[in-house]
Amino acid sequence: MRLPIFVSLVYLFLYLPIIVLVIFSFNSGDSYSWSGFTLQWYRELFQTKEIWSALINSLIVGGSAVILSVALSVFMIWGLHQKLTAQKINYLISLFYITMIVPDIVIATSLLVFFYFFHVSFSLATLIVGHTILGLGFAVPIIYSRYKELDKRVVEASLDLGASDLQTFFYVIVPFLYPALLSSALTVFIVSLDDFLISFFCAGASSQTLSLYIFAVIRQGLSPILNALSTLILVGSSLLVFIFTFLKLKSSSRKL
Amino acid sequence: MKNLKEKFFDNIPFFVSVPAILWQVLFLCLPILFIFYMALANGLFAFTFEYFRGILDWVHLRIIVRSLLVAMLNASLCLLIAYPVAYFLALKAKKMKNFLLFLLTLPAWVNFLIQVYSWFFVLERNGIINKILLSTGIISDPLHMINNQFAISLVMFHIYLPFMIVPLYNILEKFDPQLIDASLDLGANRIVTFFRITFPLSLSGVYLGFFLVFVMTFGEVVIPMFLGGNKTLFVGTLISEYFFGARNMHTGAAFTLLSSMFMGATLLLLYILMKNKIKTSLSLKG
Repeated sequence: MRLPIFVSLVYLFLYLPIIVLVIFSFNSGDSYSWSGFTLQWYRELFQTKEIWSALINSLIVGGSAVILSVALSVFMIWGLHQKLTAQKINYLISLFYITMIVPDIVIATSLLVFFYFFHVSFSLATLIVGHTILGLGFAVPIIYSRYKELDKRVVEASLDLGASDLQTFFYVIVPFLYPALLSSALTVFIVSLDDFLISFFCAGASSQTLSLYIFAVIRQGLSPILNALSTLILVGSSLLVFIFTFLKLKSSSRKL
Repeated sequence: MKNLKEKFFDNIPFFVSVPAILWQVLFLCLPILFIFYMALANGLFAFTFEYFRGILDWVHLRIIVRSLLVAMLNASLCLLIAYPVAYFLALKAKKMKNFLLFLLTLPAWVNFLIQVYSWFFVLERNGIINKILLSTGIISDPLHMINNQFAISLVMFHIYLPFMIVPLYNILEKFDPQLIDASLDLGANRIVTFFRITFPLSLSGVYLGFFLVFVMTFGEVVIPMFLGGNKTLFVGTLISEYFFGARNMHTGAAFTLLSSMFMGATLLLLYILMKNKIKTSLSLKG
């Protein structure tokens, strides 16, 4: 099996800048030319307190957005299916596609205007609200498409055998949705960590996230510490994807 | 007569589905309405068109048209390059498929700002491209590759290419390759087969990918800010300028609305044109 030249070139293009960045994180000079190997920037990275407090803020926001958007989505999709017809559900679900249709900058400015109008001061809480909106736009479609594959007879069997609605929900439906819950949680987390615009518009001056920190550093120009940080983020996210793929394989081998 | 407790348990599905919808309406739909309000109101209940009148001129129009053109160019370029890659991944890659898909999404997991930043090392005056070209003697003076439209378009293409490949891959993966064999058996050549069979069947992926890349490129803020050298304004950069630089929320809201309307109209026009064109080309030949 050979890789066509065209496909290899596209992949090379996608990876070229990141590879260069990783190499330069070990560069002893702080310019664009190579002057020797060092681990100095990693040492300085661990000593920069600002980065770690920004990371903690990002993790708080990302974690809350994940919990909120996944929980809200799964309860809503289950609840709607108890009472409404498929067509009505489709109408309501389409509400959550707005996030995809509208550019991020419009969502960001509208939230800014909204909070400003009601004199809500910007903080991590306003940021969590914004990121949950982003997250719902991913979690609802992912979980909904999995829910549609649920065999209704399994639910009926569970109810016939004496389980209550809630027991059926927690012992039959949630385990069935597990792969979708996992992938939506991961997607929302990544989207939240990656987001810059909503953070830029909706975070207060006191609540700096990793994205905002990186933005401020890049504005000042070249920073070798940022290269070291990028390398660690790259390693971290590859690990996360590996764990995720492993969990998904495990759950798909344990079918209902 | 049911007691209160029973009534509560009957309505649990209702209670648990309301929060998500409420959240979406309160923090997405309502704020978008507030953009309209902000663009049109100059008092609590006093409405005016002055903010719109202030931005209906050639300066603003040119910025919108420039953003539309750049978005169109980027989406078309992504489509052109992404299609063969997605085709290969979906129909030819076989065993390597999962690994290649993993590699495709990995850069998107690195912070978006860092991806943009990493291009400095490649494009700068003493970045690697200039170094290589200078040392091999192809050029004698370093190329000017940053702070211009070229850098903006290149990086936009780099960032948004995966967003085109993935929807195309998803639709081509469901495509039955036996259709190609059937078409070839019936005497069509490979080019005719592609344009009459494969491409029309993948149109929903093409639309989705084009739409995603177009919308994201149109509202882009960071890439022109970092790689455009603040020379040319785009819709996204001007909006953030209104909100943070000029602190003029009313005009900012009006401009956000105006540019969104242009974006919507362009997409609708493109969609209608595409649909008619495909219809006529099919009916002429078949």
